[in-house]
Amino acid sequence: MKKLIVKISFIAAAIAFALPAGAQTARSAPAGSGSATAIPRTPDGKPDFTGIYQWPTYLPGAERGHSSATTFDRKNFAPLKSGGEAFLEPRTGDPRHDEPRDFCMPAGFPAGMLSANAMQFFQTKNYLTIVHEFQRMSRIIPLDGRPHRKDIEPSYYGDPVGHWEGDTLVVVTTNFKRWMIDDYFYTNPKEFRMHSDALTTTERFQWKDKDTISYQLTMDDPKIFTRPWSQGFEIKAKPEWDKTGLFEYVCEENNRCPGGKCQGN
Amino acid sequence: MSRWCFSFLLIALLGSVPLLAHHSFAAEYDDTKPIKVVGTVTKVEWQNPHIWFYVDVKGEDGKITNYAFSGGAPGQLMRRGIMKSAIQVGSTVTVDGFKAKDGSNNGFGSKVTYPDGRMVFTANQDDQNKH
Repeated sequence: MKKLIVKISFIAAAIAFALPAGAQTARSAPAGSGSATAIPRTPDGKPDFTGIYQWPTYLPGAERGHSSATTFDRKNFAPLKSGGEAFLEPRTGDPRHDEPRDFCMPAGFPAGMLSANAMQFFQTKNYLTIVHEFQRMSRIIPLDGRPHRKDIEPSYYGDPVGHWEGDTLVVVTTNFKRWMIDDYFYTNPKEFRMHSDALTTTERFQWKDKDTISYQLTMDDPKIFTRPWSQGFEIKAKPEWDKTGLFEYVCEENNRCPGGKCQGN
Repeated sequence: MSRWCFSFLLIALLGSVPLLAHHSFAAEYDDTKPIKVVGTVTKVEWQNPHIWFYVDVKGEDGKITNYAFSGGAPGQLMRRGIMKSAIQVGSTVTVDGFKAKDGSNNGFGSKVTYPDGRMVFTANQDDQNKH
C-alpha cells in the first residue's frame, strides 16, 4: 500500500504539474493585426518568442513518464544500432552514477529543458537566450549565421546555433558530453536513457497560435540509433507568471541529503 | 474518503514531493520506512534545491528529538502561491513521510497537517475550501 501511495503520488504530481496553473492571459499580437493567426513579431518581421513559458509538455497521445518533467515517448525512438544498447544503461546503485543531479550536477540538454519549471525566452536580432528555472539553465543561441565553435570540449548543454526557415526558428546543437536524455528515472529506476557524444539535436520553434509554441525536437545520435527520430511538444505561454518571474535556483545552497547521506540531524 | 477528496489530497501533497524538481525520491529516501511524527516546528529553510523544516518531537520517555523533513522546491511552491509563510516556527504539525536512507532523523515530508486537519502546503484557506 505504501508503494502504491508513492506511485500514485508520482502520477498525480505529473498530472497536476502538467495542468495549467490558471487562466491563460492572451499574448499580445502586433498592433494592427486583426487576424486570428497573428503571432508576435519583432520589428524586422521575425516571429518573436520573447516571453515566459511553461516547460515543453506532451502532445495528446504521447506516453507520459511518472515524473512532473516531460519525458520522451519510447514509441518515437528509432531502432537501435548494433552496439547502441548502451542507450539504456543500467543503474549501478552508486548514486553518483545513478542520479548525478542529486549532487547538483547539471541535467544537461535536453533533460534540463524538459524539467517541470518555468522558463523565459529573450530574443534579439542576433540571439535567443533561454533561461530555465531548473538549475538556472541558460542557453545562449546565436542567430547571426555563425558556425558551430570548433575545437572545444564536449559539454552538458552542447553548442547551439539557430537560423530561420520562414517563420520557424531552427536550433541545431552539437558537441555534447555523454549524458542523460530525460527524467526517465521515475518511470524505470533501473535504467538510464543516455545519449552519446555523437548527438546532434535539432529544435524547431514555431508559433501554433498566440499562446502556444509548437516545439519539435529531433535526436540524431548515430552511435546509438539507425536514424534520427523526433518528438513534438507544446510550449505554453504563461504571461501571468511574469508577475513574479523566475525564482533563484542555487542547488548547492542547501542540498542536505546528497545520495541519501544527510548532513546534520 | 471520496475519490474527489482523495485526488485533492494527492495534489495537496505535491507541495512536499521532492522528486519534482531536483532529484529522485529513491536516491535519498526509503519508501519501506514510513514515519509519522507530531511536533513543533523549530526552523524553516526556504532554500534550494528543496525546502526543509525541522520539528521537535517529544518521545514517550519525555526526550525531545529534532527531525528534519524535506519538501518541494521553493520556486515551484511559490509559483503555486505557496510562500514561506505557509509554515511557521512554533506551529504544531503532523508529518507523514519516509525516512532518509541513512537512518538519520531526516526524511521526506509527504503529508503535513495542522491539528485541525488543514494541509500546511495548500496555497490558502480559500483554495482548500473549494474542495
